[in-house]
Amino acid sequence: MASLSEEVLLVVKKVRQRKQDGTLYLMAERIAWGPEGKDRFTVSHLYADIRCQKISPDGKAKVQLQLVLHTGESTTFHFANESSALKDREAAKELLQQLLPKFKKKANKELEEKNRMLQEDPVLFQLYKDLVVSQVISAEEFWANRLGGVNNTDPTLFNNKQEVGISGAFLADIRPQTDGCNGLRYNLTADIIESIFRTYPAVKQKYSENVPHNLTEKEFWTRFFQSHYFHRDRINTGTQDIFSECAKQDEKGLKSLVVQGVKNPLVDLLSLEDKTLDEGYGVSTTQPSTSNANRTVKESSNYAIIKRFNHHSAMVLAAGSRKGETPADQASETSSTDGNSRDSDFFQPPVKKVKLQEAIEYEDLQRENRPKTVALNLKKSDRYAHGPVPLQSQQYTTSQDIINSVNYIRHEMANYKPNLTQVVSSTAASSAIVALSPGGVLMQAGAQQAINRKFLSLMFSG
Amino acid sequence: MKLNIEGLLVYFPYDYIYPEQYSYMLELKRTLDAKGHGVLEMPSGTGKTISLLSLIIAYQRAFPLEVTKLIYCSRTVPEIEKVIEELRKLMEFYSKETGESNNFLALALSSRKNLCIHPEILHANIVVYSYHYLLDPKIADLVSKELAKKSVVVFDEAHNIDNVCIDSMSVNITRRTLDRCQNNVDTLQNTIHKIKETDAAKLREEYRRLVEGLKEANVARETDIYLANPVLPDEILQEAVPGTIRTAEHFVGFLRRFLEYLKSRLRVQHVVQESAPQFLKDIFDKVCIDRKPLRFCAERLQSLLRTLEIADIADFSAVTLISNFATLVSTYSQGFTIIIEPFEDRTPTIANPVLHFSCMDPSIAIKPVFQRFQSVIITSGTLSPLDIYPRILDFRPVTMASFTMTLARTCLCPLIVGRGNDQVALSSKFETREDFAVIRNYGNLLLEMSAIVPDGIVAFFTSYVYMENIVASWYEQGILENIQRNKLIFIETQDAAETSMALEKYQEACENGRGAILLSVARGKVSEGIDFVHHFGRAVIMFGVPYVYTQSRILKARLEYLRDQFQIRENDFLTFDAMRHAAQCVGRAIRGKTDYGLMIFADKRYARADKRGKLPRWIQEHINDGSLNLTVDEAVQLAKHFLRQMAQPFRQEDQLGLSLLTLEQLQSEEMLQKITQIAHQT
Repeated sequence: MASLSEEVLLVVKKVRQRKQDGTLYLMAERIAWGPEGKDRFTVSHLYADIRCQKISPDGKAKVQLQLVLHTGESTTFHFANESSALKDREAAKELLQQLLPKFKKKANKELEEKNRMLQEDPVLFQLYKDLVVSQVISAEEFWANRLGGVNNTDPTLFNNKQEVGISGAFLADIRPQTDGCNGLRYNLTADIIESIFRTYPAVKQKYSENVPHNLTEKEFWTRFFQSHYFHRDRINTGTQDIFSECAKQDEKGLKSLVVQGVKNPLVDLLSLEDKTLDEGYGVSTTQPSTSNANRTVKESSNYAIIKRFNHHSAMVLAAGSRKGETPADQASETSSTDGNSRDSDFFQPPVKKVKLQEAIEYEDLQRENRPKTVALNLKKSDRYAHGPVPLQSQQYTTSQDIINSVNYIRHEMANYKPNLTQVVSSTAASSAIVALSPGGVLMQAGAQQAINRKFLSLMFSG
Repeated sequence: MKLNIEGLLVYFPYDYIYPEQYSYMLELKRTLDAKGHGVLEMPSGTGKTISLLSLIIAYQRAFPLEVTKLIYCSRTVPEIEKVIEELRKLMEFYSKETGESNNFLALALSSRKNLCIHPEILHANIVVYSYHYLLDPKIADLVSKELAKKSVVVFDEAHNIDNVCIDSMSVNITRRTLDRCQNNVDTLQNTIHKIKETDAAKLREEYRRLVEGLKEANVARETDIYLANPVLPDEILQEAVPGTIRTAEHFVGFLRRFLEYLKSRLRVQHVVQESAPQFLKDIFDKVCIDRKPLRFCAERLQSLLRTLEIADIADFSAVTLISNFATLVSTYSQGFTIIIEPFEDRTPTIANPVLHFSCMDPSIAIKPVFQRFQSVIITSGTLSPLDIYPRILDFRPVTMASFTMTLARTCLCPLIVGRGNDQVALSSKFETREDFAVIRNYGNLLLEMSAIVPDGIVAFFTSYVYMENIVASWYEQGILENIQRNKLIFIETQDAAETSMALEKYQEACENGRGAILLSVARGKVSEGIDFVHHFGRAVIMFGVPYVYTQSRILKARLEYLRDQFQIRENDFLTFDAMRHAAQCVGRAIRGKTDYGLMIFADKRYARADKRGKLPRWIQEHINDGSLNLTVDEAVQLAKHFLRQMAQPFRQEDQLGLSLLTLEQLQSEEMLQKITQIAHQT
C-alpha cells in the first residue's frame, strides 16, 4: 500500500495500537502504523481525514495520542518506549500540529470547490447523481477526473476570495483553565496564534526575533500569558519583560492615532464647542475629578482596562481592513484645498460638507427618485415575526382577525346612534321596573318564563 | 411647497411636510404675532430647524418692520453648521421660486471666525452663533450689545440653557489664579510707570473719559440701543467711577489690596460658605474695601487695558477674572453663594484651596435677553416638563407647547427593564451600586442585546466612576469577552481626543457590518453632542438614572435656593434634571421617521410615575403598561419582535397621509383638525 515515493517525515518505534506493538510513520500526506515485523500498515489515515488530535494529560501513566476523524471514528496510539515515551509523543504531536491545519484548509477548500462546481453546472450535477449516488463509481473516482481541471482553471478565483476578519473575542477563547496543581493551562490553536499576530504585529515581531533562538515556542507563549501585556489591568512593574516594549509601541501607536485626529468633523469632540468658557469661569465640575495625578491603584487599573478595550477593538478593526486600505482617500483629502475659493468664509472641506448634507437630509420629505424596487409582500406578517406557532385549539384567531374585529367594533360604535323615537316612554319603563321588583306582578313564582319573555321584548324595543 | 400659515405665505423647501411641522409653525407664528416668548418642544428629526427658519424668514419678509432680525443660537459647532446648511437650502428654494436673487444676509459666528464682525452683525438679517455670544456677558458685550430690539431670538437645543446661564456667571479662584493675577498686576504697574514717563497725557485723558464714558453708556441704554450687561448693572451707569480708583495707580493699588485679601481667604483649614453680603462685610472689616469701588472694578480694568493699549488681553485673563468677580459679588446680594474649600473631598491630605463664586439663579444671565428682545423662543427635542423652564428662567411665555411625532409605524420602542432574569431589582441607586448581582444583570442585559441588535448599540452610564467600576467588574467576570464575540467594544474616556477616535472607530465598525458597542456617560460630551442615526444606534441602553452628583456643596446651595426662591422642591429638580439627561441620551438614537431604535431604561425607578411623567411626551406615549417592569429575557423578546418589524421595507407611500403630507392633504379640513391636536398645550 505504501508507495515508494512517499516521504517519511517521522518514524516512532514501540508504539502500541490495540495492544499490539508496532511502528508509527508520519508521512507527507498521511499517518500510518504497522505492527512489528510486518511489512504493511494496518492503520492509515490521510491528514485531510483527521479532524483533530488529542493527547493524554501529562501526569498519566499511559502516554497516548488519539486521532479523531471527520467520520467520528478515532484511533489511539500508546507510546510504550519507557525511556522516551513522552518525547516521542511530543515529537509526533508537534509535527501533527503543523501538518493538520494545512490539510484541513485544503480539504475544506476542495469540498467547497466541489460543492460550487455541482451547484453551478447542472449537467455535472446530473452526472454526479447518475454515477455516484447510484454507486456506479465512487466519489473519489468521479472527482479524480474533474479536479485536475479545477486546479488549473482560474487562479484568480482563489486570490479574489474575501479576507476573513478576526473575531473580536479571540482572546476570550484562550481562557485559562486550572490544571489542578496550582498552574494555569492556556489552549492555543493555530487560528488563535494567527489572530494574535494579525492584531498585534508587535507580538509577531517579538516572536520572530526570539523564537527559536532565545526561547522555544512554548516559553514564548508562557511569557506572553504571564506578561502584563496580556493582563492589561495589571500595572506594569517589571521591565525585564520582553513584552513591555510591545506595550510601549502600542501606546505610541494609540497616541499617534489620537494625534492624527478624526476625519469626520461631526464626531470630533474637540471642536464640538464653539466658545468654551475661559479658565476660571463656570461651575466647577460637579463630579469628583480623576486626573492622572491622584488616581488610586484601582482607578488606574480600571482606566487601563478601558484603554485596552479601545485599543484592542481598534486593532481588530484595523487588522480586518488593513489590506483594503489605499492611499486614495488621503489624496482626495488633500486635493480639497484648491476648491471653492470664491468665498473663503464658507469654504468647507468636502468630507465635512458631505457629512453635514447627510445630517440635514430628510429623505422622506423629498420626492422619491430612486428606482422602484419590489417590496416583499408578506401575507401573514405575524407568522414571519413569530415563526410557526402550534395551534392551541380550533378557535385560533390571528392577530389580523383581532385587529379586524376591533376595527369593526370601533366602526360600529362610532356609527351607533340610539333610536330615540322607538324608546319606551318613562311611565311604561317605571311600571315595568315596579312589576319586575321583588313583590311585583311579574315576580311571582312560576312566572319565570313569562318574565324573561316580557323583559326581552322590552329590551329589544329599546 | 408654499404654505399658508394663518394668512402668511411660507416657502418650505420640500415636496412634503410632516403634520407636526405645520403645527409647530402655527404656534410659532402665534408667538411672533403676540410679540411674546415661547417654549416649544418637538422631537429631533422632525425638521424643527427648517420649520423655524422657514416661518421666521417668511415673517421677516412679510413684516419687515415688525421683525428685523433672526438671532439663532445653538450649542455646538456642528449644530451651527447644520443650521447654515439648512438656511442655504431654504435660500436656494427662495431664489428658485421667486426668480429673484435674495438680498438676505446671513452670518454665522464661531470662535475661529469672530474677527471684525461687529458692523456686519448689525446689518445681517440672520445671525447664527453659539449661546455664549448672547448669554455670556463677557462676550455678549463685545458681539451682541447693539442688536436691534425687534429681533427674534431662538435658543435651539435649549434643554440645558439654565446651566449655560449659570456657567457664564460663575467664577472659580484657585491659588494659581491669584499667582497669575499677581503677575498681571505687576505688569500693569510697570506699564503705567513707563507710560507716565512718556505719555502722561494719555492717562489724564483716560481719567476724563471715565466720567464721560459711563454716562454715554447710560444714555445708550436709556435710548434702547444696547443689550444690558448683567455684569454692569444699571445703577452703575448713573454714577461716576469712585475717586478711590479713578487714577490708574490708585486702581492698581486697590487691586493689590483685594488680591492680598483673597489670598488670605484661601488660607483656610475648613470649608467656608457665605453669602455675598457676608463677604462684603468681611472685606470691609479686614481691609477696608468698600462695596462701591468693587462694583466698578470690571469696568475700570477694561478702561485701563484700553488706555495702556494692551494687545493681548488673554494674558490678562487672571486679573480680568478677579475684577469680574469683584463686580459680581458687590452687585448681586442674592442668587450667588461663596464656597471656599481647602481641599478636594477625595484627597483631604492635598491642599488645593478653591474659592467658588457660584451663580444659583439662571435667570440673572438671561434676564437682559428676555427684556430686550420682543420674541425669545426656547426649543428642543426634550424640554419636559415644559413649565419648569419659565419658572427657573423667570419669564412669562405666551405659548408653551409640546409636539408629538406622528408616526406611520411606531419606530421607537421604549422598554423599562426593572429586573434581572433572577428577579433581582435593577437600579443604580447608591445602596445597590456596588451590588454584584445588579452589575452582573446589567452585564447580562448588554450581552443579550449585543446578540440580537444589529449594528450599533450605545450604552450610557450615570457617571465616569460608575462606568469604570462596572467595566472592570464585567472584565473580571468575562462578560466583556463574551460581548466581544458579538460586537467590538469602544469606551468613552475623559480624554476628548481619545474618545473622538473611539467614536470614529465605532462608526467604522457599524459601517462595515461588524457591529459595535459604545459605552458612554450621561452628561458627557458624547451624550450631548453626537447623534447616532440609523445603524449607528439601533439601541440605546440607559444604565441607571443619571442623577447629578449630589454631594457637591455648590449643588446643595443651588437646590436650597431653588426651594426658597422658586418653590421647586429639591427632589423635583433633581428628578427633572436626571430625566432630561436620560431623555437626551435615549433620544440620540432616533433622528427621524425613517430611523428606528430601541430605548432601554435599565432601572426599576423609571417605572414610577414621577420619573416617567417627566419624559418628553413623544417618548412617554409609547411606553405601555406592559413594558414597565420587564426582566432581561422579556425585554429581549420584545426587542426581537420590534427589530424584525422595523427591518421591513418602509416606503414613502406608507407614510403619506399619516405622518407625511402633500400640500393637498394638508389643506383638507379633516387633516387641519387633526393637526390642532398635535400640539399639546400646557
